[in-house]
Amino acid sequence: MNSRQVIKPFDHGPSAPRQTLVAAALPVALFAAVIVQLTVVNRLPLPGGDAPDLVLLLVAAVAVTTTTMIATVTGFAGGLALDIAPPVSHYAGEYALVFCLVGYLATRVMGAISAASGGAERDPSICLAVVAVAAAAGEAGKAGLGLLLSDPNVTGPAIRHVLPGAILYDLLLTPVVYWLVALVAGLARPESERAPAPVFFGAQRLASVFRLASAGAAPNLRLAGTGAKFEDKRPVRREPKLRLADARSNSLARTNPAGTNSAQPLVAGGRAAKLNFARSGITHHAQSSGPARPRRTPKLNFAVGLPTITPRPRRGPGKGWLDVGRSKPPTVRRAKPGKGWLDDGRRKPPTVRRAKPGKGWLDDGRRKPPTVRRAKPGRGWLDVGRRKPPTMRRAKPGKGWLDEGRRRPPTAKRAKPGKGWLRPARPPRANWYSTGPTTGWIHRSRAKNRWRTRRRSLSGSLLSTVRDLLPTGGRR
Amino acid sequence: MLEARRTRPVLIALLIVAIALITIDFRDGGTSGAHSVGGRLFGPVEHLTDDVTGWFGGGSSAEVSALQQENDQLRAQLAQAQVNSQNLSQLAGLRQLTGADRYKIVPASVIAAGGGYSDTVTISAGSSDGITANETVLNGDGLVGTVIATSPTTATVQLANDANATVGIRMASSGQIGALTGAADSFGGTAALKLTLFSATATLKPGQELVTFGSVGGRPYVPGIPVGTVTTVTTEPGSLTPTALVKPFVDFTGLGVLGVVIST
Repeated sequence: MNSRQVIKPFDHGPSAPRQTLVAAALPVALFAAVIVQLTVVNRLPLPGGDAPDLVLLLVAAVAVTTTTMIATVTGFAGGLALDIAPPVSHYAGEYALVFCLVGYLATRVMGAISAASGGAERDPSICLAVVAVAAAAGEAGKAGLGLLLSDPNVTGPAIRHVLPGAILYDLLLTPVVYWLVALVAGLARPESERAPAPVFFGAQRLASVFRLASAGAAPNLRLAGTGAKFEDKRPVRREPKLRLADARSNSLARTNPAGTNSAQPLVAGGRAAKLNFARSGITHHAQSSGPARPRRTPKLNFAVGLPTITPRPRRGPGKGWLDVGRSKPPTVRRAKPGKGWLDDGRRKPPTVRRAKPGKGWLDDGRRKPPTVRRAKPGRGWLDVGRRKPPTMRRAKPGKGWLDEGRRRPPTAKRAKPGKGWLRPARPPRANWYSTGPTTGWIHRSRAKNRWRTRRRSLSGSLLSTVRDLLPTGGRR
Repeated sequence: MLEARRTRPVLIALLIVAIALITIDFRDGGTSGAHSVGGRLFGPVEHLTDDVTGWFGGGSSAEVSALQQENDQLRAQLAQAQVNSQNLSQLAGLRQLTGADRYKIVPASVIAAGGGYSDTVTISAGSSDGITANETVLNGDGLVGTVIATSPTTATVQLANDANATVGIRMASSGQIGALTGAADSFGGTAALKLTLFSATATLKPGQELVTFGSVGGRPYVPGIPVGTVTTVTTEPGSLTPTALVKPFVDFTGLGVLGVVIST
C-alpha cells in the first residue's frame, strides 16, 4: 500500500499549478523525444552506426515511476508517433505495439518487485535495472516484430549488426533518462514523501555506535561530556541467564577469565538462554532480572572433571531429562556414586586400586538398575528404571495416568518454546516437492506414479507463479 | 493491483489498434493514410527543429545551397550527355524517354532519418514543391535514392542501399544491364550494394563504374546517374549470372543537400 502511494504521482499533495505542470510534462517530453530522436539522434554519426532509442527509454523510465495506465498509454503514443512521423521506415503500428507492451510489462514487473520486497520505498538501482532490461527487451521486440512482418531490412545479419549496438547505447543513456524522469515524477509527490533524511548530531551518532556495540545491553546511555541521556526506546529483549557449575570449569575460564560471575552465555538471537550447570546450584544471569526458576531450566550436566563436589540428590529423572544428551536415563548421576570416582574420563571400575568395592561399583560397568542393592524399594524406583506408569501402586488412578501410559515424548506436551532450545531444531523439509497442500500427499504420490504427480505439481506451481506475475501479482 | 485490472482493457484495446494499423499498412505496402497524417503532424515540427539545429550548427547558407543546387543540375545534365554520347546507337529508343532538357531539380536538405534497420531519410521539400512519389533523388556524388512518400512539407526518400530498393543499372563501359539491391545492414556498416547482371556471358572486373539504366518516364530512376564502382566480384563457379559488390559514390551516412528530379 505504501508503494502504491509512492507510485501514484498525481494522487494528492502537490499544489494545483505543480500538478498541471507535471501532467503536461509527460506529453511534452514524449513529443520532444520523438522529434529529437528523428532529427538529431538518428542522424548522429555514432560509432557502429547505431543510435539509442530515446522514446523507448522514456517509456521505460515512465513505467517504473508512474502507474500502469500512464505507462501503457505513453508507450502506445510514443511508438505511434515514431511510426507515422515522416521518415517512413517501417509499418505504422509496429513500435506502438512494442512500446505499449514494454510500458505495461515494466510496470507489472516493478509492481511485482515492490510487492516481493514488502512494498517498501523503491530502490533506485532496481528501477535502473528494470529500465535497462525493458529497453533491451524493447529493442529485441522491434527486431522480432520486423522479422515477423518479413521486413526486408530486418534480416539476421542486420539484427546481429544493429541490435547489440542499440542496446549498448540504450544502456549508456538509461541513467540520464531515468534521473530526469524521476526528478519530474518526484516533483509530483506529496511533500511528506519528499522529507529530507534526518540529521543526527555527533553525540547521537556516537550513542548509536555504542548501542550497536553493546548489543542492546545498555538501554540507558550516558555519554560523558554531553550531559545527555540516550534512552533506548525499543522493547527490552529477553535476557540470557547462565547457571554455571563453578569457577574451575576450564571451558568457561577460557571463555571469560574474569570469573564465573561475569560469565555470559553466547547465544545467537538473544534468546533467554538459561544454562544450569547442575552441581553448582548457582544461576548466572547476564543481568539479574528476577529470580531464576530452576524447575523449568533444561539441565546441562558437566559432570566430568568435577570430582570434589557431591552430586545433588535426585529422586528420579526430571522433566527435561530427554533433552540432555541422547535421552539416556541419567543413571550415572542418580546412583549415588561414592566420592566421585566414577567421574574420571576413563570410566574403568577401579577394582584394582580398591581393596574393597564400595557401595556403587556395580553401577558403573554393567549399568544394572540398582534394585539389587536396595533392600526396600522406595517410592519412585519403578519410575526410574523402566518408566512404567505406577498403576500398581495407586489405589485409584489419578487424572493423567492414561496420558502417561501412552508414552508421549515430553516435548509434545510442552507449550513454552524456550524449553527445548538445546536441541537443534529440525529444519522443515524444503524439497522442491514439498509445496503440496499437506504433508500426506507425498506418501500418496509415492504410492501412485510419483513422476507424473511431480510434473503436474511443478507445472502447477510454475503456472501459479506466472499468474502471480502477470495479471494479479503486482500492486498496481 | 486494482489499477492493473483497470488498465488491462485499455491495453487490449491499444494492442488491437496497433495490430490493425500494422495490417492496413502491410496491405498498402507502407503507404497507408497513417503516414500522411503523421507527415502533416510532424513535418512542420521537423522543419522547425532542423532550422534550429542548423542555426546552432552553423549550417549551410543560402549561397552554398544555391551553388550545390547548380552543381546537382550540372551533374544531371552531364550524366545525360555522357549517356547520349557514349551509347547513342544503343539508346536510340531510350532517348525518346529521357530528353536532356526535361529535367528539373528541386533542392532539399535532409531533416530527419529513420532509425534502426531502415535506410530512409526525410527531406525538407514536399508535395507543395511539386514532389511526388517515385522520383529520383541525387546529390553531387551520384544516385541517392527515390521518393516513396510525400507530405505537404516533407518527403521520405528511400536510399539506394535500403533492402527494399532495387535499381536498374548499366555498366558504363560495356553497357551490360543488371540490378542493384541494397544490403540490409548497410546504413551503419560497410555500405555495399549487391549487383547481379542479367547476362550470363558478361564479365565483371573490379573498378568498373555503374550508371542507372532508367525507367519509363524517369520513375523511379532517371537514366545515366552514376551509382558506384565494382569492388569485389563474388560470382560463384557454378552460378548462372555474375554477381559483385558495389561501393556507392554517395556517402549515405553524411547526406546534406539533395536534389529531387521532377519531371515537367
